[in-house]
Amino acid sequence: MTKLLASIKKEFLLLIYDKVGLLLMYLMPIFLVFVITIVQDSTFKLVNENNLEILVINNDEGALGDSLLSILQNSGSFKITEEKALSKEEIQYVLLNDNQLLAFEIPVGFTLEMNNKAKSISRGMLLEFGVVEADSTENLQDAISPLNMYYDPVLQENFRHSIVSSIYSFLGALENRLMIENLYSEMGYDEVPADLENQFKNNRIEIQQIAANSSSNEVIPNSTQHNVPAWSIFAMFFMVISLGGNIVKERLSGSFVRLQTIPSSFVLVLLSKVFIYLIVALSQLAIIFLLGKYLFPTLGLPSLEMPSNLLGLLLISVFSAFAAISFAMLVGTYAKTVEQASGFGAITIIIFAAIGGIWVPSFVMPAYLQTIGKISPLHWCLEGYYSLFLKGGDWGLLVPSFLFLGVFILVCQVLIFLKLRAQNYI
Amino acid sequence: MGAVIEINAISKTYKGSLEKSLNKVSFSINQGDKIGIFGPNGAGKTTLISIICGIINASSGEVKYRSNGDTVDLKSMLYKIGYVPQDFSFYEELSPFQNLMYFGSLYNIPKKELKVKTENLLSVLGLSHVTHKKVVKFSGGMKRRVNLAIGIINDPELLFLDEPTVGVDVQSKNAIISYLEELNKKGTTIIYTSHHMNEAQEFCNRIVLIDKGNLIESNTLDVLLEKHNEQNLESLFLKLTGIEYRD
Repeated sequence: MTKLLASIKKEFLLLIYDKVGLLLMYLMPIFLVFVITIVQDSTFKLVNENNLEILVINNDEGALGDSLLSILQNSGSFKITEEKALSKEEIQYVLLNDNQLLAFEIPVGFTLEMNNKAKSISRGMLLEFGVVEADSTENLQDAISPLNMYYDPVLQENFRHSIVSSIYSFLGALENRLMIENLYSEMGYDEVPADLENQFKNNRIEIQQIAANSSSNEVIPNSTQHNVPAWSIFAMFFMVISLGGNIVKERLSGSFVRLQTIPSSFVLVLLSKVFIYLIVALSQLAIIFLLGKYLFPTLGLPSLEMPSNLLGLLLISVFSAFAAISFAMLVGTYAKTVEQASGFGAITIIIFAAIGGIWVPSFVMPAYLQTIGKISPLHWCLEGYYSLFLKGGDWGLLVPSFLFLGVFILVCQVLIFLKLRAQNYI
Repeated sequence: MGAVIEINAISKTYKGSLEKSLNKVSFSINQGDKIGIFGPNGAGKTTLISIICGIINASSGEVKYRSNGDTVDLKSMLYKIGYVPQDFSFYEELSPFQNLMYFGSLYNIPKKELKVKTENLLSVLGLSHVTHKKVVKFSGGMKRRVNLAIGIINDPELLFLDEPTVGVDVQSKNAIISYLEELNKKGTTIIYTSHHMNEAQEFCNRIVLIDKGNLIESNTLDVLLEKHNEQNLESLFLKLTGIEYRD
């Protein structure tokens, strides 16, 4: 016991004297989690909280251009700046030189063309029903000039698509209203009954979003719930630089060789490392989770809702920490130099994170990459945390994470043992 | 004095190497000896010491350890062995005090006793003024003395030193050799390697010469000088191992 305590004390001293390592392990992850969460949260707000600025050039002489403008303004998704009669070149100049990402041009004759189209469709419908007779003198155009959307090339495709989709839905509502008005007009009514008009306005079917959850404690997924666990795992695995480098340094300095001539088990040395870095990993997680819960709300970010299954959280955290420690020890055992351990370790963690779904969700990846991603320990740590933080934390959902991480830890430890055995340390 | 270690036909071939690093080397180490193991670079000195201390395994042959006349295994012998490797095998980020307290505690030395021993050793080796300073800032000579202090923290009966005075100034070398003499007078058997022939001639009572893995000579210096009709260890060494470069 004295030997183990002495080894633990030595590891602790080495850790606290390594200022750069400590910075990497504690401050960098916190910084990373903050930055990523703020960025993702502001992206969410940009789309959903009236933050996206759109320049609208309304060239329409009629009322429908203004109606569309009003719908866009009242949608709550955009901040509208209205301009009249800008040329294509002027619009492009504004996008390239001013702080505008999008411009939307309502063409000349928009009202007339929309009305004609609505009239044409409603007339067609009434003809079908035999309510009216064909009038050979009337020839209505049902083609509409396109609405131009100019965009800054930096605006990503998926972002543009979501904007186009919402504008399509606004246009659809406008078209439907016009069509009904025309139907009533064709049938000799002066106006659409007020009740019906109100129904059109207010009777949009609401889409209720319900996250699948195994517990009654429903957590609303947000940027904090997604990012805090994901980037905490990423940071935890980066201990490969500190722990991996520490092992290589000890090996190269000959400290391991000296230990062979001392009546002490080498396993004690490894155990002391595991113990210290387990505390490091768990304290990393605790600090980041506490910051997510108590500091994030003061910065306008969503608060981290802790899962109800706290035992599950502790176990997944311990398994994740052991996986990170085992990987770092494996790299440290096989690397020939500190640079090799740091370089290889860091790059491997980045690849593991990328294929494991830390950066972008696994479901958007091609099928083959999703399959490859399952070898990443970070993937299974993340699955475990998502089960806890987003899906209710049912034990059944955690089993695959426990199984894979258990196998990963075992494989790493066996490989470490074989290498140390070959080098006569064990 | 009886043999404390018997080396019987030790051979070592490293993985991937065709040549033997040691070839059936046999000799014994008696209690109280001050044995110098000499040979050109690559002769097999470090390999030999590493095998005796259990750091690496021999390909063939055996090392027998004796304590109070009984044959004992390496594991129980480790409490009585001190090893001072050629490299600075300690934690440079820690102080000499922290290093000695750590390595000493691995010998199960009680904390209070260990603290006293550590302070005494640091004082004897001229390191008491830097007891709590990080070793990383020390000179080469100071680091050598820290390396030595760790190797003798357990008051070893057998002390192995692999080039303990390499790269140090005359003052540090003098301090180290004087302390080793003192230890030997107290009964510690010393086995060391060095390239400093003058130092070795003064210090050692027995010489083991190896070259290309083979044992060339093993005897007292006087016997060897007389046998080969040489005046000193350096000329004897050159006569037996040749003057050509070995690395």
